[in-house]
Amino acid sequence: MDLLTLIVFLPTLGAVACLVTPRQHIRMVALAVSFVTFVLSLTLFGTFWAGSGDVAIFGEHYGTLHETVRADWIVGDRFAIEYFLGVDGLSFPLIILTTLVSFLACLASWNFDSWKVNRGPRAYFILFLLLETGMLGVFVALDFFLFYIFWELMLLPMYFLIGVWGGPRREYAAIKFFLFTLGGSVLMLVALVAMYFFSDHAITQAMVEQGVDVIESGYRDGVGVTHGTFDMIELATNTAIQGYFGAKSTLFLGLRFAPLMFAFLFIGFAIKLPIVPLHTWLPDAHVESPTPISMILAGVLLKMGGYGFLRICYPIFPSGGYTLAFYVAMIGVVSIVYGALCAMAQTDFKRLVAYSSVSHMGFVLLGIAVMTKSGMQGAMFQMIAHGISSPMCFFLVGVIYERAHHREINRFGGLWLTMPKYGTMATIGFFAALGLPGLCGFIGEVWVLLGTFAARDMFPWAIPMAIVAASSVILTAGYILWLIQRVYLGREREEYKGFLDASPREMFVLVPLAVLCIALGVLPMQTVFNFTNGTLDLMLAQVLSGAGVG
Amino acid sequence: MGEHTYEILLAAAVASPLVSFWLLVFFGPRLGKPKAGWVGVLLGMGVPLIMGTIVMIGWWFFEDEASRAALTEHAFRWKWANLGAVAVDIGVKLDSLTVAMFFMVTFIAFWIFVFSVGYMKGHSDEVSGQCKYWRFFAYLSLFGFAMLGLVLSSNLLFLFIFWELVGLCSYLLIGFYFDKAFASKAAMKAFITNRVGDFGFLIGLMLVYFHLGTLDLDQAATRFAEQYASGTGIFASGFTMFGWSLATIMGVGLFCGAMGKSAQFPLHVWLPDAMAGPTPVSALIHAATMVAAGVYLVARVYRLMTPDALMFISTIGCLTLTLMALIAMVQVDIKKCLAYSTLSQLGYMIFGMGCGAWVAALFHLVTHAFFKAMLFLGSGQVIEGCHHEQDMRKMGGLRHKMPFTCWTFFVGVLAISGAGIPAMHIGLGGYFSKDEILAVAYTRSYVWGEGDFSKHEAHEGEHHSSTSTVHDVPVQLAAYQEHGEPEHADHGGAHESVDAHSSAPLALIFEHTKPLPKWMFWLAIITAYITPFYMMRCWWLTFMGKPRDEHVHEHAHETPMMFIPLVVLAIGTVFASYYLFRPLMADAAGAATAAPMVMAIDGDVHTPAITSAHSWLVYGVGFAFVAGFALAYLIYRDGLAVGDRIKQRLWPLHTLLVNKYYIDELYELVWVKGCVLLAKTAGFFDKWVVDLIFNLAAAITERLASFSGMIVDKHGVDGVVNGIAQTSMDVAGVASSAQTGRIRNYVLVTAAVAAVVLICLVWFGTNSGYSGARSFSALSP
Repeated sequence: MDLLTLIVFLPTLGAVACLVTPRQHIRMVALAVSFVTFVLSLTLFGTFWAGSGDVAIFGEHYGTLHETVRADWIVGDRFAIEYFLGVDGLSFPLIILTTLVSFLACLASWNFDSWKVNRGPRAYFILFLLLETGMLGVFVALDFFLFYIFWELMLLPMYFLIGVWGGPRREYAAIKFFLFTLGGSVLMLVALVAMYFFSDHAITQAMVEQGVDVIESGYRDGVGVTHGTFDMIELATNTAIQGYFGAKSTLFLGLRFAPLMFAFLFIGFAIKLPIVPLHTWLPDAHVESPTPISMILAGVLLKMGGYGFLRICYPIFPSGGYTLAFYVAMIGVVSIVYGALCAMAQTDFKRLVAYSSVSHMGFVLLGIAVMTKSGMQGAMFQMIAHGISSPMCFFLVGVIYERAHHREINRFGGLWLTMPKYGTMATIGFFAALGLPGLCGFIGEVWVLLGTFAARDMFPWAIPMAIVAASSVILTAGYILWLIQRVYLGREREEYKGFLDASPREMFVLVPLAVLCIALGVLPMQTVFNFTNGTLDLMLAQVLSGAGVG
Repeated sequence: MGEHTYEILLAAAVASPLVSFWLLVFFGPRLGKPKAGWVGVLLGMGVPLIMGTIVMIGWWFFEDEASRAALTEHAFRWKWANLGAVAVDIGVKLDSLTVAMFFMVTFIAFWIFVFSVGYMKGHSDEVSGQCKYWRFFAYLSLFGFAMLGLVLSSNLLFLFIFWELVGLCSYLLIGFYFDKAFASKAAMKAFITNRVGDFGFLIGLMLVYFHLGTLDLDQAATRFAEQYASGTGIFASGFTMFGWSLATIMGVGLFCGAMGKSAQFPLHVWLPDAMAGPTPVSALIHAATMVAAGVYLVARVYRLMTPDALMFISTIGCLTLTLMALIAMVQVDIKKCLAYSTLSQLGYMIFGMGCGAWVAALFHLVTHAFFKAMLFLGSGQVIEGCHHEQDMRKMGGLRHKMPFTCWTFFVGVLAISGAGIPAMHIGLGGYFSKDEILAVAYTRSYVWGEGDFSKHEAHEGEHHSSTSTVHDVPVQLAAYQEHGEPEHADHGGAHESVDAHSSAPLALIFEHTKPLPKWMFWLAIITAYITPFYMMRCWWLTFMGKPRDEHVHEHAHETPMMFIPLVVLAIGTVFASYYLFRPLMADAAGAATAAPMVMAIDGDVHTPAITSAHSWLVYGVGFAFVAGFALAYLIYRDGLAVGDRIKQRLWPLHTLLVNKYYIDELYELVWVKGCVLLAKTAGFFDKWVVDLIFNLAAAITERLASFSGMIVDKHGVDGVVNGIAQTSMDVAGVASSAQTGRIRNYVLVTAAVAAVVLICLVWFGTNSGYSGARSFSALSP
């Protein structure tokens, strides 16, 4: 069996195993499976190091893939859907991130029994592992249809994990999460179908122009004829398809095809990112989720939105991205500032961290929207960095929630004195979120800001946007330091005096994340850029030429 | 020495405190008192001091000017990351300024570390029985790492990174007693105020990155000069804001960072509050090193400055030095008094930078670092001796109880007041450095405007004549760029700038640079009279006169262990600066001020070449300390009575000063409250507008769904969806928990919407844009 299939479906196998495992061993099985998955994903490193030097590992031309698996899956009259997996610079770090965060979240679920929910661990861990399969599938699938299947596959376990094991308003939060994502999915589905038919037309046209007998070549099983494709790389790199998609005369519902499809896909992915004003599912989902699910939600699920932009929206519809750049960037900047302001207003610890995610993911959107090298690099880095710092922050909240059974920021105080180890970890985690240099949050922000500024040749509005976005460094410092002051500093409170410091298990979750926060901040090239930049730069070059700029 | 020897030594010196930091983090609690402190002293600053000394000696005594320039040019670079297409290097900016700063920081920091070993014994475990002694030294070590890294950075991005890291250490150390609300608030205030400055810094960085296409300091300067010569890049843009060109905005943006860190008006508010930290921290970070980093930054980016930017810098510096000195006159807390005096002196440095007194400002930075560190340590002794009493009104007469502290403190007072004997070229550090700044300011405001100055200098410049032979100019002046040229011109590479700008005649600089407004010069002079007054007042109230509080006086004592640092720093104050640091600064000036648009002025008025036209200034300032001392003595000779009477007469002024011009209150109202209000509004909006819209939409959909659910065949679509949901729930074993029926309705509606959209799509698609089927059928035979 090939590596990627193994990585993606090992958690599913684990889920099956959980069905038959005795109740007391389930969490052990789940942990073991997620750990093995993590180790397997690490072997991907070996593949890349074996091949090339330390720079531009994924960079021959856009679409250079590794570990590809390709087979016909559903081939019908009008459809040819493939089972097509592969890894390149866009997906590679996200796969590692997913397996890592899943493993740590599994460890964070270890004290499942103390959650006082009436549902047993069996269903929880089965859903958890299915969720991991869904997430990994999204990042490795290169057939759009397959991608869509995984995208939906991840939705259902998440819905139940929030809706069953969540807090008091869990059902509301779960339904909200479900509906928002589903709303995006509908638009994505429309785009999926439209792209398939339009690509069919484009290729057929091109074949006719070349004098190919299209009927003969497209004849399948004596029924229908199709040349359309769901292959995301093909859609992005095939000149016939790109030419037809991007042409001004290509209309859909009376509107230009590329911007409209771009907008459909954009909304679908942006809901996941999330953007203002489609973000309101996020705070509720986070607040009601159990801690490990929050970690996954913030660490991995939000990244799917950004990954969707980089994998689908921009490469396939570059002219759409170029046309709508102002609006996309605007939404990014609004998310950054608005998210930070909302975070400042929160009194619920978890809700604050959730809003800070909105603010941070705004940088991802801004970086991608301006279509510059450092913007893209920064956006990608920001995704990884946020994928490390935000699970850490959510876990930090969870640790204290388990002890205090509340999350009111104003009722805490002096926790650094009560729990010194935990306090130190909290300082690292929250300063990483603050964007302190030397920690991971800084690189992404600065790269995006400089990238935005550098876009001024293409977009006259880039400078004001960069300046407004940069002003968020003050707001971010404001709400994070205020948070630290209210929760960790100050006089020790009587009611928390008995709290135990972070347990070894909790430290085992926190320390790797803290180490990664520092490692990414100190050695951004060796940890992330070397793996992402090759693909990103090539993709950007292609996007710019597709948009008629570069 | 071999290639990169200096860099290796310096890098080792930077790494050592980091090692110390991690050691203390992991093993600190086990080391206990005072071992943890000694780890900090030896690894945290001892090793760097040794390295710094070796480098300084090697650099200054065993390298000649040419080899120094070569070393500067071939300094070590290592690629750290790509910023878009621009490579960002980790590297060492190796020149005399770096070497001087490095030595100064390690030297002062080392003695403050030593002081802390004793001082923190009694100041570090007041909280919940937990020993935080090791933590203090861990933070100090981290600070050492960051500060030394900042000094070495060859790259603006790295400068910024270390810049923020020293800010972090400052935050942690101000908030060291974080169980006290005022300390944690002060820490937060410091960090956020600095972030406001960093916002400007970031904008400056963006402009540098975009227009100069690099973040390397030397390369940026080279490109800036090239672009100026050819009128391209940043000079091609006609964009202006507040009448500032883009290049000026870049300079001002970078300076904003310095305004935060060096606590310049109006971002000065954090520094007085920062005194909430332990006293050694005040001495090291908030007097000697970190707050001076702003001045260092301006010195480093001097080559990117424009006349307008420098004018802005000098204005800010001038306002700071005056306004803060006035506040210092009415402070009663000994540390606060020193804090405001620090602000005022930082204002002098920034003012000097703005005037073009590049060497003088840095020279003042070093002298100030010595005497202010010593003054703070002295105040620490006093506070320690008086059992945490900081109010000077309760002190008095301490000279008998703590003679060493008293007299070392007095040396500091003399130094900061600029005491010296003008005609004989004798004086303490502050005498030389402050006078030099004033001399340059005088030149810029009085001599600059007169036509013959510019003609003369331009003429001198053409001939590269040595200024020491000039006797007919009022002040001995040298444009450093003219010095720098002959030595560096043939090295190429990093010094292309010299070639690029050498064609730009000095006359151009004179033409574009307005003279300094005269009020600025006069404010600086007046403040030179205020400084000795408030310092003398501070010293007198603390040490002289009669004891005013028996209780405090009775228990006052001196800790012998902490003498040595005081004495060493006092010696440094008296001797080191003029003969060691000033020549180093002057050596660095050549390359570091080779700016295309502005020039730096050598204002060394204490050389024998001093002329009579200038002497009134020298005497006027030179004896300022006498006047100031006399006034303070007259008022406070017999205790507080006279002062109180003056206070009552001048109550409006006194109230204004005591309340620090109400700036804190204003900020609290406008920024803090404003920001919180904005945040609350956003939060409210989010909850009651954005979210409500979606909830309403959902509610309507639900009604619609249940309505349609009644009509649509329950066993049709609904049944299938229901069945699937039921099955999956059963498998998961969660059927009863989430089965509300609502989700089913939603799915139903969503499916319906999707169906409608798909139908539309196919319908409109075939009719308008998508015509694949038709074109295909047209082809078929």
